[in-house]
Amino acid sequence: MFVFVVRRVILFIPVLFGVLVGTFAFIHYGPGDPLSIMFGEDDYENDPEILARLRKIYGLDRPFFIQFGDYVCGGLCVPDARNEGIIKGDFGKSLRSQRDISAIIRASLPISAQMGLAAFMILYLVGVPLGILAAVKQNTWIDYWIVAGSIAVASVPIFVLGPMVMIVVVLKLQVMDTPVGWEGLFSTNAILPVALLSLGGMLGVVRMTRAGILEVVRQGYVRTARAKGLRERMVISRHILRNALTPVLTGFGPTLAGFLTGAFLVELVFGIPGFANAFISAFQGRDFPMILAGTMLGTFMWIISNLAVDLLYGVMDPRVRYE
Amino acid sequence: MADTVSESEGPAEGESPSLAAEFEAVKQRSLWMDALERMVRNKAAVIGGIIATIVILMAVVGPYVAPYDYLRNDFSRIAEAPSLDHWMGTDVLGRDFTSRIFNGARTAVFVAVVVLVISTTVGVTLGATAGFVGRWVDDVIIRIGELLSAFPNILMAAFLSVTMREPVTMFLADLYSKTAWDILNQRIYIDYFLMFGAISATEWVGYARLVRGQVLTLKEMGFIRAERALGVPQRMIITKHLVPNAISPIIVSVSAGVGGVMLTESTLSFLGLGIQPPAASWGNMVSENLTRWRYDPHLVVMPGMVLAIAVFGFNFLGDGLNDALNPRAIQR
Repeated sequence: MFVFVVRRVILFIPVLFGVLVGTFAFIHYGPGDPLSIMFGEDDYENDPEILARLRKIYGLDRPFFIQFGDYVCGGLCVPDARNEGIIKGDFGKSLRSQRDISAIIRASLPISAQMGLAAFMILYLVGVPLGILAAVKQNTWIDYWIVAGSIAVASVPIFVLGPMVMIVVVLKLQVMDTPVGWEGLFSTNAILPVALLSLGGMLGVVRMTRAGILEVVRQGYVRTARAKGLRERMVISRHILRNALTPVLTGFGPTLAGFLTGAFLVELVFGIPGFANAFISAFQGRDFPMILAGTMLGTFMWIISNLAVDLLYGVMDPRVRYE
Repeated sequence: MADTVSESEGPAEGESPSLAAEFEAVKQRSLWMDALERMVRNKAAVIGGIIATIVILMAVVGPYVAPYDYLRNDFSRIAEAPSLDHWMGTDVLGRDFTSRIFNGARTAVFVAVVVLVISTTVGVTLGATAGFVGRWVDDVIIRIGELLSAFPNILMAAFLSVTMREPVTMFLADLYSKTAWDILNQRIYIDYFLMFGAISATEWVGYARLVRGQVLTLKEMGFIRAERALGVPQRMIITKHLVPNAISPIIVSVSAGVGGVMLTESTLSFLGLGIQPPAASWGNMVSENLTRWRYDPHLVVMPGMVLAIAVFGFNFLGDGLNDALNPRAIQR
């Protein structure tokens, strides 16, 4: 188990490095001049001398590999470095605001993380019972409504659902003010964003729970458990749920991807100053150091959560062995 | 499955005539007729099919029957409620909303179709190659696919559409100077080209995996080997058995993919990374009018609802096709 984890963690390094090289190269060779993004097109264009001096100041006249080394490990690898290097947690400066990107991340990531975790808990606390209910009442109207409802919700993108829910709750019912911004997780402002975020993964969880239980219920060992006189509660909790929920856990990966997309949209719709929002404005403003940092962080979290899924899988299902 | 039907080339010699007559009496039905019949019985799939047809019709003839030019501003009539002149009202820039919705349908369907054509072509070719050739070719293709799906596809698409905008613009300008085709000189179309590339870049991986798996299992299936042993010509094996068996999962995932691609496109456009404003996409129509949600809710609800219904329809159609083409997987 321990060896497995260590090996997986070591395997991260080439993947992360590959993504880093890929994105860096894309940004280096792909789009226009970072200077034109910083200062606008016309201010310096007529004066090549100023342009050259600026390039020198920002170190943009150096070859690709030197710039890359500077970005990754700063003064350790490259003489005359501009950055500390991402190995020391320095992601450089934002082209637009000239703020340290690590400071931006420290300010915005906790907000997104709180929202994501809360939504995640709600998703499983609501989705799994709904799936169980649908399976127990299979082929009744309860089942149909749960399944059809979750399909309907999944078909409506969050950026449509968000304004529509606001129209109903704020304009028609008038139970709250327009939720804009972030005042902590336990304020009324957070209710709608977190609820919408958790709705994004609902269909997957409900569907997988339902399918898992329907499959397990028909297995021989469940009949055996009943036949030997176990109480129904024990049968459900020990024999059915444990086996039925394993696929629900492995579906955690796509759920997380859904959360990532969902976070972009929810934070934009509700004006929440979270990480996804900062990242989206970087995309819109072509703020490439920021995009690079966001991509790396996103990939990192993605890989970590995949590892977590694998490990949980082993805990839930004793047949899975890691050597 | 198909094998019950196709072998009926008439009675063999020596069989009794009554049996032969009985054999003739069984009506011949192909896999596709069977599937169609199962499909028609499924109400949700029929509804999905109807919605999908309407959306496609909107995309094809919509711009010609639209009452106004979707780009024309009428500044005397800004953000009006639905009326007889403007069935869905006008937006914040005084443009007729019905016409914009129709053109949004064109964007959604156009992007979905092109992306799916590109990614199935690439995916089927690479997947089949990986499955047939095996060895290092298989390894390389699978690794590339894994790397591309190392992060969520919306992130990849957003990244590509931002970094590739300038190179694609330059490339198209260059192409225009050589060919003088008008389509290459319009800024609106640059977004379309970006969307095709950015979404297909990850979309093909799923199809490649699917086809590879299909090829690997079918290659070893008993009935294929039996036919080979019986000396059935290769062409017959491929057209009668390999293709029907391998193609139905592809059709299913393509039809299920339409909704997904539409969602990705409109999400990107909503975020300002996809189709840019003067052009109409249901996604950017929502974001353009989002600031007015309090005063003119219809401007946000209309494109949103149309998008949701379209995605809903295509998803139901995909589900229905799945049941119809996979008789083994019928559960209820």
